[in-house]
Amino acid sequence: MKTRIKELRKKRKLSQEELALEVGTTRQTITSIEVGKYTASLVLAYKIAHYFGLTIEEVFDFSNANEF
Amino acid sequence: MEEFRTKVNRRIILASGLTLVAVALGIYAVFSLQNVPDDATMSAGFISGFQFGLIMSIGILSMVSVVKLRRALNDEIKLKVLYNKEHDERLKTIRSKAGQPLLSITSVLMIIAAIIAGYFNIVVFYTLVAAVLAQLAISAGVKLVCMTKM
Repeated sequence: MKTRIKELRKKRKLSQEELALEVGTTRQTITSIEVGKYTASLVLAYKIAHYFGLTIEEVFDFSNANEF
Repeated sequence: MEEFRTKVNRRIILASGLTLVAVALGIYAVFSLQNVPDDATMSAGFISGFQFGLIMSIGILSMVSVVKLRRALNDEIKLKVLYNKEHDERLKTIRSKAGQPLLSITSVLMIIAAIIAGYFNIVVFYTLVAAVLAQLAISAGVKLVCMTKM
C-alpha cells in the first residue's frame, strides 16, 4: 500500500525513529510501511494520521484496496 | 508506562535470581568435575559438559538481560523503545508466524527432558537435543524470511 508517511516525515524533518517513538512502534515497522512491505493495522494507521493532524485517507492510499 | 516499569522491575529480579542460581550451579559443577571416577564414559562427560554449558549460557544471558533492563529503567526513551519493541504489531505477527512463544516453551521442556533422560539413555538425550536444535533452526529461518518480506 502506498503512503505519504515519508513525504510528511521529511516535511517535519522527522526521523523514522522519532516517528516510531511517537506512534508506539519500531523504526523497522515504519520502514516497512513506507516501502509498502507491510500494511499497518487500523489502530496504527489512525495513530500515524493523527500524529500528522490528517485523516487516514490523506496519509494512506486506498486506491488499490481491492487487492488486499 | 508505570505498569510496564513494574513488569521490567519484576523481570530484573527474576533474571538476577537466575544469574545467582546459574553461578551457584556453575561453581558446584566445576568442583564436581574434580571427582570424576576413572571408569567414567565419554557420553557421561558429554552430558555433564552439556549441562555446564547450558548453566553458563543461562547465567550469561540473565546477566546481560539484567544490565539491559537496568539501563532501560534509568532512561525514559530506552524504556519506551523497549515497550514499543514488545508491543509492535509487525513483530507480534512475525513472532506468531515463527511459532513463538510456544516453541520456546516446548524447547525448554524438551531440553529439561533431554537432561533427565540423559542419565538413563544417551540415545534419547541426543534425539531430544537434535529435535530442539531442528525446531529452533526452523523457527529462526521462518522469522528471518518473514522479517525480510514484511
